[in-house]
Amino acid sequence: MTALLSTSAVGKHYGSGAARMPIIDGLELSIAKGEFVSLVGPSGCGKTTLLMCLAGLLAPSEGQVRFNGQLVTAPPIGLSVVFQDYSRSLLPWKSNLDNVLFGMRRVQLSGPEKRARAVEILAAVGLSGFEAHYPWQVSGGMQQRVAIARGIAAQSQLLLLDEPLAAVDAQTRADMQDLLLDLAKRFNQTCVLVTHDVEEAVYMANRVLVLGPRPTKVVREVIVDLPMPRDQLATREDPAFLHARHEVMALIRGMRQGKALA
Amino acid sequence: MNWAIWAERLRVPICAALLLGAWQLVYALGVVPEKYFPSIPTIATAFWAMLNDGTVLSAWAVTFGRATVGLIGAALLGVALAIISDLSPVLSRGIRYISDVLQPIPPAAFVPMAVFMLGLGTKLYAFVIILVTIWPPYLNGVAALAGVGSVQLNTGRMFGLTNWQLLWQVKLPAALPEIFTGIRYAATISLIAVIVAEMLAGRDGIGFMIFKKAFALRTPEVFGLMFLVGLNGVLLNGLVNLLRQGLTGWHIKMMERPE
Repeated sequence: MTALLSTSAVGKHYGSGAARMPIIDGLELSIAKGEFVSLVGPSGCGKTTLLMCLAGLLAPSEGQVRFNGQLVTAPPIGLSVVFQDYSRSLLPWKSNLDNVLFGMRRVQLSGPEKRARAVEILAAVGLSGFEAHYPWQVSGGMQQRVAIARGIAAQSQLLLLDEPLAAVDAQTRADMQDLLLDLAKRFNQTCVLVTHDVEEAVYMANRVLVLGPRPTKVVREVIVDLPMPRDQLATREDPAFLHARHEVMALIRGMRQGKALA
Repeated sequence: MNWAIWAERLRVPICAALLLGAWQLVYALGVVPEKYFPSIPTIATAFWAMLNDGTVLSAWAVTFGRATVGLIGAALLGVALAIISDLSPVLSRGIRYISDVLQPIPPAAFVPMAVFMLGLGTKLYAFVIILVTIWPPYLNGVAALAGVGSVQLNTGRMFGLTNWQLLWQVKLPAALPEIFTGIRYAATISLIAVIVAEMLAGRDGIGFMIFKKAFALRTPEVFGLMFLVGLNGVLLNGLVNLLRQGLTGWHIKMMERPE
């Protein structure tokens, strides 16, 4: 099976000479269609830089990123990023519906068809009746749902989620986790979730890739052998969940202690 | 009865009454000789006479027209310069040096040379007004365009916008509220520049009229015309505000929303 998204020896550094700051070094990963993969790592390891490289928003210094077999040099069609900072990612001069339509500008549909599709996807994220509202007129959780709807509406196959739930409150976060899993299935989205929350990483994913400290690369793959759909109570009490969580957490704690001692 | 609401509704008449009252008080106390500080009724009578013989209205139309057209030109050019600066760091530095040199020069200093070069017509006013009015829209434009967040830009790029589309569809709409702050400031400068230029060019407009009446020691008329110039500011600001509401109404609503 060919990978939807893959990298070969991706490296990224800023500056040069004595000021050279390596962020990513020799990173290899491969995401197959239909997977939900979480990327976790110690804080400041370069997760966001990696995501920008995967999305074609930042050119890697070395190596290659491929999406659907094509070399990524600019943001490809079929790949959407959902940014952590939804309030800055949504355009405040556009209504929620127009924000979703803005995401559909490369979609080959007629105007009315696009509109119908946008309304349908907004309904799928639970925002029927809020089409004409501006993003700043709805709650943070609702804004992030508009951003997710916009990402999916852009004929996306792959959603790159950059700590999408870090800025919403804890109760909303649990609901949004389940919504995201549901949307991934309904709209056939392959998902890569960057998060610093190990519980969230394990709860959402089929596979967790643990990133090392800077310059980062994948240091461990943890398979999460739990059935879908997940359940906020049952899944989190499952021995397989606890086992995977323990493994990931121990790795990251080890890296942080190593850094503290160094 | 809610006094706060009534005070809010009546703030313009209240402020006007306070101003006129204070004026009359200074007049009644006789601090300044009546010749140089006439009473409000005297000013009103003199102004009414000028209105009736038609001179004020035609001079006003000339002056307000110049200020408005000059403001539009300066705003468009200022934003265009800001866009150029945003696209090219080299040009940006060059334009910044030019603005640093030209900004402190008052409009009055431009007029004599400009009269020799451009005559007394439209070109003179276009030149002087634009040269002193262009800077607030330019400087606010540069700051606003530079301040557009990386997340917004990345969002645009992710959906395949070219740099040109990014400018028109993301950067300019995001920067427009701050640009309008500069344009409102420019409106006042434009009015000042027109009056000063008219005084020195000495052919027509409210500025020339004030000069003429001042030399004839027609103090009531001078004060009447000064009030008119002040009202011009209110009127031009009102026009700018209408445009601002039309183009960036979302921002005004966003700023006014209850937390």
